Amino acid sequence: MPFKFFFYLIALFVLYSAYFVVTARNLFRSAMGLLAVLIGIAGMYLLLNAQFLSAVQVVVYIGGIVVLMVFAILLIADVTQKVFEQSPRWRQGLIGAASLLWFSLLAGSMLSYRFGAAAAAVDKSGSIREIGRALLSPAAGGYALPFEVISLLLIAALVGAVTVARADADNGEGKEGKA
Amino acid sequence: MPALNHYLVLAAILFSLGLTAALTRRNAIMVLIGIELMLNAANLNFIAFWRFRPNPDEMVGIMFVLFSIAIAAAEAAIGLALIISLYRHYRTTDLDQVDALKG
Repeated sequence: MPFKFFFYLIALFVLYSAYFVVTARNLFRSAMGLLAVLIGIAGMYLLLNAQFLSAVQVVVYIGGIVVLMVFAILLIADVTQKVFEQSPRWRQGLIGAASLLWFSLLAGSMLSYRFGAAAAAVDKSGSIREIGRALLSPAAGGYALPFEVISLLLIAALVGAVTVARADADNGEGKEGKA
Repeated sequence: MPALNHYLVLAAILFSLGLTAALTRRNAIMVLIGIELMLNAANLNFIAFWRFRPNPDEMVGIMFVLFSIAIAAAEAAIGLALIISLYRHYRTTDLDQVDALKG
C-alpha cells in the first residue's frame, strides 16, 4: 500500500525533525529543523488531499515565517556559538515528564475513541476552485467576512510589527536600529 | 490509507515536542519555534478531521487552517518584532533574565 508507506515515511521524517528542533543546541539548527518539519507537514497535507493548503504551507510558513525567524536569529544571536544556555536539568526533566503525560492523555483518548462511520474517508478533495468560491462568497456558508477581517488583522500586524521593532529615536538608540 | 487515528497520534507527538521546546528552551526565539510546532500539530488535526469527514461538501476544515496559517504569520511577525525590541533593551533574549515588566 503506497499510501501507508508514504505516511510512515513522512511521519518518521517529521518526528525526527521535530526531535532535532527540540534537542539541537544551536538556534540556527533548530530553525532548520523547523523548516524540515514544515516541509513534512506540507507532504502530509498532500496525502490528505489538501493540495492547496500544501502550497500555502510552503509559501507562507517556509517562505515567510522561517525566513523571518532566520533573519531575527542572525540579527540578535551569535550563531557561530556552539552551545546555547540551557535550562537547569531538573526543569528539563520536569517539563519532559509533563509533556509525556500530556501526550499519553492525548494519545490515549484518541486511540480509545471509536470514530466509526464518520471516519471513512470520502474521496473528494477541496479543489482550488471550490476554496476560492467559498472564500469570496458572501452568502451563507461563504467566508467573505472572515476573509476581510483577516486582511484587517494582517495590516494591523504589519503596522504593529514595524512600530514595535522600530528603534526609539528619543533615547539615542536610533542609529543602531536597522530593522 | 492510514486511519484517522494515525494522523491524530502523529499530531499529538508533534504537539508534545512543541510544548517541550517552548517550555525547556530559554531563548525567546526557541519558544516561538515551539509555538509554531504546536500550531502545525493543531492544523494537521484540522485537516485530518476534514479529510475523514462524513459530509464531503463542507469546507470548514480547510478554511480554518487557511485562517490559522494567516494568523500564525501575523503572530510570528509580531513575536519576532517584540523579541528584537526586547533584545535592543536587554541585550539578551534569554527569558530567564528578562523578568521585569518595567525596564
